[in-house]
Amino acid sequence: MIELKGITKTYRKNGSLEVSVLKGIDLEIKKGEFVAIMAPSGMGKSTLMNIIGCLDKPTGGEYLLDGAAVDKMNDDDLSRTRNKKIGFVFQSFNLLPKTTALENVELPLIYASDDIDVKAKAKAALESVGLGERINHMPSELSGGQQQRVAIARALVNDPAIILADEPTGNLDTASSEEVMNIFKRLNQNGRTIILVTHEPDIAGHAKRIIRLKDGQVVSDERRAA
Amino acid sequence: MTKIVNLALKGLTKYKMRTFLMMLGIIIGIATLTVIVSISKGAQMKIMKGIRSFGTNAVLVSAGGGKMFGPPDEDTTSLRIEDADAIKESVKGVKHIAAFTVSVSQDIIYGNKNTTSPVLGVTPEWMDAWQWYVDKGEYISDDDNASMSKNAVIGQTVARELFGDQNPIGETIRINNTNFKVIGIMAHRGTSPMGMDMDRRVFVPRTTAMRKLFNIDHVGMIRMYIEDESKLQEVTMNVTALLKERHHITAGQEDDFRVTNTVKMSMMAKGVSKTLRTFLILLSVISLGVGGIVIANIMFISVNERKKEIGIRRAFGARAKDIMNQFLGEALLVTVSGGVLGTLLGLAVSKIVSMIPLATAIGPMGKKKMMTMPAVISWEPFVLAFLFSVIIGVLAGIQPAKKAAAMDPVEAMRG
Repeated sequence: MIELKGITKTYRKNGSLEVSVLKGIDLEIKKGEFVAIMAPSGMGKSTLMNIIGCLDKPTGGEYLLDGAAVDKMNDDDLSRTRNKKIGFVFQSFNLLPKTTALENVELPLIYASDDIDVKAKAKAALESVGLGERINHMPSELSGGQQQRVAIARALVNDPAIILADEPTGNLDTASSEEVMNIFKRLNQNGRTIILVTHEPDIAGHAKRIIRLKDGQVVSDERRAA
Repeated sequence: MTKIVNLALKGLTKYKMRTFLMMLGIIIGIATLTVIVSISKGAQMKIMKGIRSFGTNAVLVSAGGGKMFGPPDEDTTSLRIEDADAIKESVKGVKHIAAFTVSVSQDIIYGNKNTTSPVLGVTPEWMDAWQWYVDKGEYISDDDNASMSKNAVIGQTVARELFGDQNPIGETIRINNTNFKVIGIMAHRGTSPMGMDMDRRVFVPRTTAMRKLFNIDHVGMIRMYIEDESKLQEVTMNVTALLKERHHITAGQEDDFRVTNTVKMSMMAKGVSKTLRTFLILLSVISLGVGGIVIANIMFISVNERKKEIGIRRAFGARAKDIMNQFLGEALLVTVSGGVLGTLLGLAVSKIVSMIPLATAIGPMGKKKMMTMPAVISWEPFVLAFLFSVIIGVLAGIQPAKKAAAMDPVEAMRG
């Protein structure tokens, strides 16, 4: 479902100095996989994730998502693709402040064109991560683990095929981390593709496949029995 | 559409103080605008009322020079019945004409009650010339004039003050130590453009006034009714020229009479309210302009502060257009609600202003009469407010909204 061919990304810093972050990535991820992308900090893993998540366009190379050429899409198509196919989970949760858990989870549904019962769907998503009792809490009234679960509910609510998680446990204690990883595992068992970006081997250990990046290139790709 | 409004509403309620500050300029500007509309409509209504009581298609000559309107100068003796006859003979377009005497202030006594009123010496033509007729009883007739009778007709205010609910007809009143029998009551006429109560009038035969009451051989005013309104200015000019000639007024010399008509009157009234209106419009434009700039600036700050929110929304599928609509919607919601609040505030202020006495006039019998500025409450301010708020909302919101929409999602999410 995800096919990356010779993906490069170059940033222009201070006018003329070009910084090459990705130097030709070839990668294929199939439906239902649980992949961890590992790299030391600043080695292009966030850039790769932004490209896979259709937030950023590669400088060169081809990206096919379900057969559609993402590298050739315009801004509106990219927005629609993000809305329908991708659910993001971030290290710093990225919930809207002063906004209830329910309204945070409703966010992707607001931008979905179909006429659906936004409230009911958002509530169901929160219940699926065990937060049915806290739908009217503000993010500031929730623990870190609970906030990340709200974020997962938000990523799930539009029923995307891919969950893209960028260091999802980076700001959590061990117990909350376990909880979050268990949710990802369950989602994967239900057929969803999970792509996890992390630098923690413990967390990557939950995945069935670990891809290691270094200096903008894939250095290893190992599959393991979960 | 409802989505945009909902989103804007959520965005604004989260930043209440900021929203209030954004609204303030618009509220003040629109309130001022509303006051302008209400007050100038009130002034217009007052003018129209005045003109109606003065009478349309009317030309009025008063004895005495000067520029201001008002009662004739009683010391000027040059205006004569013969002037009226000459006008009737040589000025075309005059349908009715009446020359009459005016004594501006006389004590009128009935039993133990008294009041003060102008006393007019009239002929029957007076009614047609003024298009103003008796309500009850009779008017002064040719016979009254021929016999120098002591019959009198009174206005509604005089009737009320002297007689209350009692029927005045047949009763005897005393003017300048002479007894008169009340034979009629005039119809209600209202307030003159000068603020005079036109219903405070006593009418007696002209001959009686000239020879018995005041011993004069001149008149105070000549009133004309013109059939064709388009001839009003022409007749006014011809009358002025004729009277200049008859009174031997040479070039450069001041006239010893004034000629007034409705057109002149409305021009003067408009001149007065124009100054006030220009000032208020300026004030309103300035506050709306400043309000718009404030909104644009706060919106820019808001867009910068909410970068992360914009990034998050983009990540979950908001198109650039959706972000644009969200911020433009917020600006519009601020200005439109500011507009509504401003209109309501403006109407309240107009109402209060219309109750504040601007001047105190001392009426008859030492009664104080308040002069106020009338305000008319109408639908126009709402339409104007809506129009202005939408325009300002779009103008102030478009650049910040464009900036928000153009943000790169990845950059924005970094905050």
